[in-house]
Amino acid sequence: MTEQILETKTDNENMFLKLENITKSFGGVQALRGVGFGIAPGEIYHLLGENGSGKSTLIKIVSGAQPPDSGTMMVRGKTYSKLSALESLEAGIETVYQDLSLFGNLSVEQNVAMTAQLVTNKGRLSRILDWKLLRDTASAALERVGLSSNLEFLETKVENLPIAVRQLVAIARGLATKASLVIMDEPTAALTQKEVENLLSIISSLQTDGVSVLFVSHKLDEVFRIGGNVIVIRDGLKVAEGNLKEYTQEKISFLMTGKSLEKHSYRTSSPQKEVLLELSKLSKPGAFSDVSLSLHKGEVLGITGLLDSGRNELALALFGIEPAATGDILLEQQKAVIKNPRDAIAAGIGYVPEDRLTEGLFLQKPIRENIMVSILDRLLKGNQIDFEKSTSSAADFVKDLEISTPNTMLPAQSLSGGNQQRVMVARWLAIKPKILILHGPTMGVDVGSKDALYKIVQDLAQKGLGVMIVSDDLPELLMNCDSILVMKKGRIAKVFQAANLEESVLSQELLSEAIT
Amino acid sequence: MSALTQTRVAAPVTFWKAFVRRPEFITLSLIVIFCVVVGIISPSFLSIKTVTDTLRASLTTGIFALGVLLVLAAGGIDVSFTAIAIFSLYATTRLTLAVYPDAPYLLMVVVGLGMGLLMGLLNGYLVYRFKVPSLIVTIGTQYLFSGFLKAFIGSRHIMDIPKGLDLAGTTALIQATTSGGARVSVSIQVLVLILAIVVTWFILNRTLMGRAVYAVGGSIPIAERLGFNVSTVILFVFGYAGLLAGLGGMLHGALNRQANPSDLVGSELNVIAAVVLGGARITGGTGTVLGTMLGVILIELLTNNLILMGVPSTWQKVVIGAIILLASAAFARRGKT
Repeated sequence: MTEQILETKTDNENMFLKLENITKSFGGVQALRGVGFGIAPGEIYHLLGENGSGKSTLIKIVSGAQPPDSGTMMVRGKTYSKLSALESLEAGIETVYQDLSLFGNLSVEQNVAMTAQLVTNKGRLSRILDWKLLRDTASAALERVGLSSNLEFLETKVENLPIAVRQLVAIARGLATKASLVIMDEPTAALTQKEVENLLSIISSLQTDGVSVLFVSHKLDEVFRIGGNVIVIRDGLKVAEGNLKEYTQEKISFLMTGKSLEKHSYRTSSPQKEVLLELSKLSKPGAFSDVSLSLHKGEVLGITGLLDSGRNELALALFGIEPAATGDILLEQQKAVIKNPRDAIAAGIGYVPEDRLTEGLFLQKPIRENIMVSILDRLLKGNQIDFEKSTSSAADFVKDLEISTPNTMLPAQSLSGGNQQRVMVARWLAIKPKILILHGPTMGVDVGSKDALYKIVQDLAQKGLGVMIVSDDLPELLMNCDSILVMKKGRIAKVFQAANLEESVLSQELLSEAIT
Repeated sequence: MSALTQTRVAAPVTFWKAFVRRPEFITLSLIVIFCVVVGIISPSFLSIKTVTDTLRASLTTGIFALGVLLVLAAGGIDVSFTAIAIFSLYATTRLTLAVYPDAPYLLMVVVGLGMGLLMGLLNGYLVYRFKVPSLIVTIGTQYLFSGFLKAFIGSRHIMDIPKGLDLAGTTALIQATTSGGARVSVSIQVLVLILAIVVTWFILNRTLMGRAVYAVGGSIPIAERLGFNVSTVILFVFGYAGLLAGLGGMLHGALNRQANPSDLVGSELNVIAAVVLGGARITGGTGTVLGTMLGVILIELLTNNLILMGVPSTWQKVVIGAIILLASAAFARRGKT
């Protein structure tokens, strides 16, 4: 009895951060209903939960972006009822945000090392900026994440960088200060396997230095590879806490969703004979070359590869965003010219982009407009848009795809990630497509929504659509595709049949280029 | 470490290489092209007098432009600075004439600066407190300040300005007679512009406030979550722009040796165009002191010398407009690569 009390006491003292009974509500919706957990120095934690479970709110409270309604936070034994952004940083809590939170207008070195000086000067803006220190801090942090620290890169504006590099820059900022806790909100979302490997080694080196890491990810495979402790929240409540060794993926999925999910193939039908799309020696200098493939009716084709493999560029070329230079595209045996997205849409190709927030959705516009935008011309009644028809068709899509919203007039930003993604799919279903290209379809989408989306994909394939999934989420490809193409240096390096293919074989093929 | 040593050795080359890629290079190129073209058409253009005239014309525009630069860099826009300037000048002049006609120029400047600062802070407060776009706020305060001035302080055009102000306008820093016999002079006020340039450059490039300004101009929510005090930054930039507007107003009064309450207001776009021609984006987050000064020189060269090229005055606006569009297109193209 006494021993137990003593143990909790020392526990408290050793904890770097301890949250107790945190609550937060937004306009009557209870996002957090009394959550508490502790973070010990040098330990790794995974905060898991579906979209909308409250984990983003929890991170915002710890990083000082939002105050909690009630509850306390103890940092190194000092109690706070709320933290400001600056207090949180001063306490040694660094956050790598899901949206990266980088300044596109500023250089890489400033993005990485500017906050470090703000914090050491306690936020006083009248202080002198030490450019040499800034550069040194930035170089060290960038080298740590495997980026270059040459002058040209240091001075490059972040807006000119590709998304994966930005992700690494955001991580570098998290490492630039002597943080005691680094929170990483989906840090691998834009990274390829190779870069993920590097991140994992960074995390273990942080651990050796006594830094705690709070990791938020939807990729359970990654979570289990990293290991450490797990905190699962669902509907604003903590439902599990402990060492990952005590859990299985299935158990975690169950805890997160409240329903059990198994890893299995989602394929329900097989491809038909008719060829929908045929590419013959499609090339674009500097991006991809000699790409030949065919997509049948009802087929689900996966395309994967590292970031520089040309997979993204190929997807963009098929939708006419960055058209191919040479080679032929045959649609149902007819030669097709796709020079811009209008051509692609007219040919019956839909494209769900990788980054739905910046490339896909009109966030502030109603769900109805987001769905119907691609077929406005078909909604004309005389010279005017038939809004009644628009509303009813949008409502049909919402029902078919089980988009959870009370009203299609609500803005798209009111939806969770998985539902937003379904709105994007609905937009293309509206054009009655023959081919649907999904680019990183479940990036930042929780387990439950993934399941729903996969079922939609299979349903579409069964109805005779040709689906292409461009992704680096290997389990996703294995569970959904008939065949999987691996691209390397702009060429198709290998074609696999997905059935009975081991993930390790696929992942080895993907990484083999890096070795040779 | 090694990267740093390399930089120092290769500095001159690197600087030039980097400069060519910067937006300011476009502005400088336009200035050079303009001078060459005008010089060929009208050789009398290439003279010391052109330099001193351009400098004189750039004094007030330059001071205003530095204030606008800070506001633009922080993602806002200010169109009230001309009203602040003329308010500061006119109110200070009337006050001086009423209570202390022999007041030294410096004292008048301090009063004018104080008024400018207060009006600028009001702008900043309204922008931050009510989260209203700064364009709307400053359109409102422009009417407010200039209306208040004419309604309550006076609408009479003052020609007999206080002695201090008069003296400050007529004192020359350098005076000379060129070989052609033309008298050229550089007003002592050029020192004021130099001081403003140095201070503004220092704030933007050597203080944490400078980084905070660009950070807020990049994204307010991100700046907030990284620990920047956004309200301080907004108050600061508008306050500073108001301060410089007050200063510019006093300078304008000294150089023109009069205080006319209907002056200046209406010329905001000229100044904003100068800042944008210097490479600052109207959407915020960018802009440099060097670029701004080049933009001011370009605008003043255009407005004062097109007549030498035989461009009729009615066509001058067309030419200026075309050059602004051309330069913006060049900036936008570069921005993409």
